[in-house]
Amino acid sequence: MSSGQKKRNFQIEAFKHKVVVDPKYADKTWKILEHAIHEIYNHNASGLSFEELYRNAYNMVLHKFGEKLYSGLVSTMTFHLQTMSKSIEAAHGGSFLEELNSKWSDHNKALQMIRDILMYMDRTFIPSTHKTPVHELGLNLWRDNVVHSDKIQTRLLNTLLELILRERTGEVINRGLMRNIIKMLMDLGPSVYQEDFEKPFLEVSADFYRAESQEFIECSDCGDYLKKAERRLNEEIERVSHYLDVKSEAKITNVVEKEMIANHMLGLVHMENSGLVKMLLDDKFDDLGRMYNLFRRVSNGLSTIRDVMTSHIRDTGKQLVTDPEKSKNPVEFVECLLEKRDKYDKIISLAFGNDKTFQNALNSSFEYFINLNPRSPEYISLFVDDKLRKGLKGVKEEDIETILDKVMMLFRYLQEKDVFEKYYKQHLAKRLLSGKTVSDDAERSLIVKLKTECGYQFTSKLEGMFTDMKTSQDTMQGFYAAYGAELANGPTLVVQVLTTGSWPTQSSITCNLPSEMLSLCEKFRSFYLGTHTGRRLSWQTNMGTADLRATFGNGQKYELNVSTYQMCVLMLFNSSDSLNYREIEQATEIPSSDLKRCLQSLACVKGKNVLRKEPMSKDIGEDDAFSVNDKFTSKLRKVKIGTVVAQKESEPEKQETRQRVEEDRKPQIEAAIVRIMKSRRVLDHNNIIAEVTKQLQSRFLANPGEIKKRIESLIERDFLERDNADRRLYRYLA
Amino acid sequence: MTRASKRKSDNQTSAPVKTARVDSVRSASSKAAKKVEERIDELYKKYANQSSHMIDPEGVEALCSDLKVDCTDVRILVLAWKMNAQKQGYFTQDEWRRGLKTLKADTITKLKKALPELEKEASKSENFDEFYKYAFRYCLTEDNKKCLDLETGCILLQLVLGVQYQAQVDSFIKFLKSQSDYKVINMDQWTNFFRFCQEISFPDLNNYDTNEAWPLILDNFVDWTKRQENVANA
Repeated sequence: MSSGQKKRNFQIEAFKHKVVVDPKYADKTWKILEHAIHEIYNHNASGLSFEELYRNAYNMVLHKFGEKLYSGLVSTMTFHLQTMSKSIEAAHGGSFLEELNSKWSDHNKALQMIRDILMYMDRTFIPSTHKTPVHELGLNLWRDNVVHSDKIQTRLLNTLLELILRERTGEVINRGLMRNIIKMLMDLGPSVYQEDFEKPFLEVSADFYRAESQEFIECSDCGDYLKKAERRLNEEIERVSHYLDVKSEAKITNVVEKEMIANHMLGLVHMENSGLVKMLLDDKFDDLGRMYNLFRRVSNGLSTIRDVMTSHIRDTGKQLVTDPEKSKNPVEFVECLLEKRDKYDKIISLAFGNDKTFQNALNSSFEYFINLNPRSPEYISLFVDDKLRKGLKGVKEEDIETILDKVMMLFRYLQEKDVFEKYYKQHLAKRLLSGKTVSDDAERSLIVKLKTECGYQFTSKLEGMFTDMKTSQDTMQGFYAAYGAELANGPTLVVQVLTTGSWPTQSSITCNLPSEMLSLCEKFRSFYLGTHTGRRLSWQTNMGTADLRATFGNGQKYELNVSTYQMCVLMLFNSSDSLNYREIEQATEIPSSDLKRCLQSLACVKGKNVLRKEPMSKDIGEDDAFSVNDKFTSKLRKVKIGTVVAQKESEPEKQETRQRVEEDRKPQIEAAIVRIMKSRRVLDHNNIIAEVTKQLQSRFLANPGEIKKRIESLIERDFLERDNADRRLYRYLA
Repeated sequence: MTRASKRKSDNQTSAPVKTARVDSVRSASSKAAKKVEERIDELYKKYANQSSHMIDPEGVEALCSDLKVDCTDVRILVLAWKMNAQKQGYFTQDEWRRGLKTLKADTITKLKKALPELEKEASKSENFDEFYKYAFRYCLTEDNKKCLDLETGCILLQLVLGVQYQAQVDSFIKFLKSQSDYKVINMDQWTNFFRFCQEISFPDLNNYDTNEAWPLILDNFVDWTKRQENVANA
């Protein structure tokens, strides 16, 4: 293997003798091949030798007769296809498609064999001469000679459309055949499918559904129409899956959507007695769901539903909150609101797929109409009061939570949350002091919810009230531990020490307590002030209650549960049999309006009239005389004598609360202005108004006029000044 | 409260110091000026109260009658503005000197002659704003008082704006007398009324926008005016 050895190159020498080509060779060979093609088309291929035919075709290409071979193929195939075309044309009626289909499958089979024979041409001659490959050529020839032949093209289209129409009207057609024919069109290339079939199909469908929808809408109600439309849509989708190109699905559903839904949207939604409003009223979840799903398919569909729903909720809501009948009973009022809210919640979750935009529309509608009634905050608080007072007795804990959660939802809609707070405080105070709260846990749970919603400032005073209650219990224990022994024979005193400020402000009017009570109270005062120096105690006799043991004329003993005022009145009758109004007023010094109410409940309520009044009338007069009702009887040993209280605030009380709310808002607005100006230094009028409104939004809706007033007040007190040049600008003066 | 009074007192102290220095420079330069000064002081003594050494309301009255103008004439207010007098009805010697010297008046006759000119000066647009505010402050008779009672306010308004904006002032005064929400006028409302007169077309009020920064009193005034109009139309 030395490197010096020379490599020898191999050479292949050409044949020494010349290959003699028969001048008739090409013609002869082609004849053989042509014959073979005829045989193939005549279903006579079994006698042919594939190997021989392949070799012939190979040789022809090799000897540069490719051109002859190719053109021969074209003309032979064309000949056969024309014959086929004739026989298809001749087919009558229903057999037309079958004939077409069978010829098509014949042609395909033939084409397969021919392509195999001519494989060498397909590989070498066709690419180098840029001719159409055999298979494709076969399809093209089929297209031009059969599908596009004058007598077939329109007939084919009409037959297809006719069959589809028949299927639409409920007939059963040969879907397999349809699938084959459509498949043929698709095989011939997407443009053939689209031009020869899809386009006219869509046009005809549009006409069909236009007419049909017109007919439907005239004779059926909205729900039925939607059912029909839905069925049609599903049919079309099914049709596509059975025998059309998948790409046609979007196109045909589009046609149905446009003709059956988009064009009739408003007519459907507003259809009398069966439109959207009616469905909402009747809770037609299925119909609503159908409408949602169908309308979702077209542009503006959902917004159409949403707008109609919104205006419907607003209108009915407005009717509800402004109905003076409903306002008579706050609990019922709130229950109606909750019912309405539940109803639409259910509709949105069941029919509208929990659509966020629908939920928002629902919320904004509620916010709109709840605030149309200025008493809504009061009523919601009264509702809570009712629930926490007695409504929840025996109710399971989860149920309490759901009710409270629902209340919170309404609370969120309120613009004047501070007004709610005011009332809530009043009602809570009454509940706590009268010992009528049913569940401490529920009370606290609601406060926690309010706290998460509005921050701790909102509830700090409410929580203070609970703390006071707890501390008072401990104080009373301490009191009785210290003085229990010496007080054993007297009445029992329970004092609740309320921190000023935490509780709703009460004008502190005291009455004259019976002497037994007075000394006890004094004892407590000295006990309390002994441990808490520097504090001041004042008695709120208008808020207390008392249990009395009373013996009536016939020796019957009862335990009377009364208010402190009522107790003061009743105790007077220990020393005298009969007293007139003025004497009672003088002795007790109870404010006259309270005294009248309290006497009314003692003397005028049937079954609880422990006092007798002269003259017997419903109202208390200044000259009336009262005596103990000897004939008083009751089935129960314990008699609870309620005070005649208006649960809902009376007009003047409402005004007063309103005024207090307005007063409380002033410092909050000022604080907001100062906060904003402190950080911004200079700001124009409109921006201040906007920012203040935004800051206070979580508590109430600040009135621009009021904000203006506060700004002026701050200018007067030199916190702000107007800019000298531009009076719209305010400057902060530090 | 405290802040306001502090600022006011700052102004009081700084202004005289400045003029005093200017005075000393002048007096050094010219003997004639000194003579004038002497005569001004003499004139001051004529009206000043012997015990308090200030021109008190009595002195002002005497001055008015010598000038042959009414005490409530706007010219007296203008004179007070020129002197930068701090307290209504009183002139101190400093104020007197400052005012008369800038007017170059050392006799009653000269002073009388200067008054119409002075009135014109005050009504010039570049001075009027200052004068207008001064008039309000001047009328606050007690220390720490920040508002004028309505009656005084109306008179003062008539006095200083009555000529320029007769229609607005008349209408506004009529409004003030018909309402009961406001019992006093503060500085902010006072200055904004002037701006209102300058900016808002009257009586149609077309370019008035309640959403702008106007004080509420003007919102109410505009409301009231429109209501009056409706009543009149009906």
